[in-house]
Amino acid sequence: MIERLLIANRGEIAVRIAHACRELGIESIAVYSDADANAAHVAVAARAVRLGPPPASDSYLNIHALLDAARMTKADAVHPGYGFLSENAAFAAACHDAGLLFVGPPANAIAKMGSKINARRVAEAAGVPVVPGHTPADQSDGGIIGALESVGFPALVKASAGGGGRGMREVRDLAGAEAIVQSARREAQAAFGDGTLYVERLIDTPHHVEIQIFADTHGNTVHLFERECSAQRRHQKVIEESPSPLLTPVLRQRMTDAAIRAARAVGYVNAGTCEFLVDFSRGANGETPFYFLEMNTRLQVEHPVTEQVAGVDLVRAQLLVASGEPLPWTQPSLVQRGHAVEARVYAEDPAQGFLPQAGRLLLYREPRHPGVRIDSGFREGDTVGVHYDALLAKVIATAETRDLAIARLLSALRDFPILGIRTNIPFLMRLLETEAFRSGTVHTGFLDSEGAYLAADPAAAPPEFLRDVVNAVREQRLPIEGAAPSSWDPWVGTRGWNVR
Amino acid sequence: MSDTPEIIRIGEGVYRVVIDGRAHFAYVAGAGADLWLHWNGQVFHRPFDDERFDRQRTRSVGAHQSLSAPMPGTVLKVHVEAGSAVHQGDTLVILEAMKMELPIRSAGDGIVKAVHCHEGELVQPGVVLVELE
Repeated sequence: MIERLLIANRGEIAVRIAHACRELGIESIAVYSDADANAAHVAVAARAVRLGPPPASDSYLNIHALLDAARMTKADAVHPGYGFLSENAAFAAACHDAGLLFVGPPANAIAKMGSKINARRVAEAAGVPVVPGHTPADQSDGGIIGALESVGFPALVKASAGGGGRGMREVRDLAGAEAIVQSARREAQAAFGDGTLYVERLIDTPHHVEIQIFADTHGNTVHLFERECSAQRRHQKVIEESPSPLLTPVLRQRMTDAAIRAARAVGYVNAGTCEFLVDFSRGANGETPFYFLEMNTRLQVEHPVTEQVAGVDLVRAQLLVASGEPLPWTQPSLVQRGHAVEARVYAEDPAQGFLPQAGRLLLYREPRHPGVRIDSGFREGDTVGVHYDALLAKVIATAETRDLAIARLLSALRDFPILGIRTNIPFLMRLLETEAFRSGTVHTGFLDSEGAYLAADPAAAPPEFLRDVVNAVREQRLPIEGAAPSSWDPWVGTRGWNVR
Repeated sequence: MSDTPEIIRIGEGVYRVVIDGRAHFAYVAGAGADLWLHWNGQVFHRPFDDERFDRQRTRSVGAHQSLSAPMPGTVLKVHVEAGSAVHQGDTLVILEAMKMELPIRSAGDGIVKAVHCHEGELVQPGVVLVELE
């Protein structure tokens, strides 16, 4: 078993991993940049080592500094968390070479899934569906149109040589396809000097559904069901849940089978996630098409919703599996129970184009509600800096049904005062209240198209009866920041103080 | 009919406000004019803005404006002096806080009326650094 674990990360995930270490009697070692010397993840760990200056390249991405820290503290394992070096095959290999257990898959599995093109090849070979598409050998108008018919409409033609939407055209049906193909070819030729066209099925309003898988070194691979993560803003997930509101048992079976095949194909070990696009607009009753997107070879930000509905501890299992122990569960022992929804609370101002916010958390009070879990990396008085991801906390609500879980999450967000900087909480609350979210029809393009109005600040003024509170605090007629004589303590004096 | 609200402080920055027999919870933090208020899931910065308590506020409209420190920090660089012409987005002052640099940029075009800080000075949030006209 691991004795000393170096946590090569920061913020809420580093705190989360340190808690798992405590439960297992593992000594946790935090690392930090100069910007994080007083951060929560440093305070919660048994030991802490400075990595370097604030820029990630000098600290959390500095493989040399991390390995030095591990050597200095006699760590025997490294947990990379998510982001930073978690999907860096070179880091996993460097840990291995330094005699450290890497809490994650083998370096070659990371490398195989790291390239999107290679991952697509691996998935196809394993019989996992990918978005139908190819570069036809026959590049004539007729050849391209034949390829369009074979991938099915609606479809996309795009420049084989480049991205950025140049030379990309939607083709809804055969009528007019020829003119569209010719114009796409001209644009591709002009933009990239190469008129070769790639043809792909267009998925109009896809849902992002991912399957959590887990494998040990004894040949066992299980899945832990799905997470629906379709509420995304510019490919950044905002709200995640499990189960998916749209998945049928038949579709779930097909998708989890596919995910396990993909994992086995690369000799996967430890926790991983297969991301799929699901086209709920096609194919009724279990025939719904889904397509492999990519595999994340690490723990996911949204892992708590799986932990909540499956009743497991994924980080603990990661540490056990990395130590060479078998998975703590068998497939038949795993069931989904109830519903969990997670909202990511970011330090950003939705009304200003989601501009990241930096500053001090003058007041920060996490809600304590039944069925609500908060994974966070900040405390009141902490400063939110500008160097890293602006994720403050994840609020996860669990209940018997989806409606109850959403109601619970809304109530928790309403009771989560964060003052000193703007957060996206009002945006999250408005999103949870939309008919689209309630009915489960939010697709990955929703927030960037019709959901844009949710970002606007309705600019309501506070109710007039709060004016007295604000003025009293301003005029220091009411004490603030704990400077109160005990007679103002409501638990001492029973009479309210009437402000006039 | 609205009565005078009854206000009880029930913890650091937390107030229970009873109006017409109904209790509400308000969270207040900050200092001077730079107050933050949380009520029922909504956050208000500078609620009920009041000029009397607002000598140091940053004005975002009108010809005259001043730029203040958003967080405590050390003044690392002052790029302007009284009389300098500045354009929107120009960096006027660089603050350093928690080893991080934070540029203070002009919100509009104008002339620097006065500089109220010097390099190396430790400044508190809300303190006016540069006045523009």
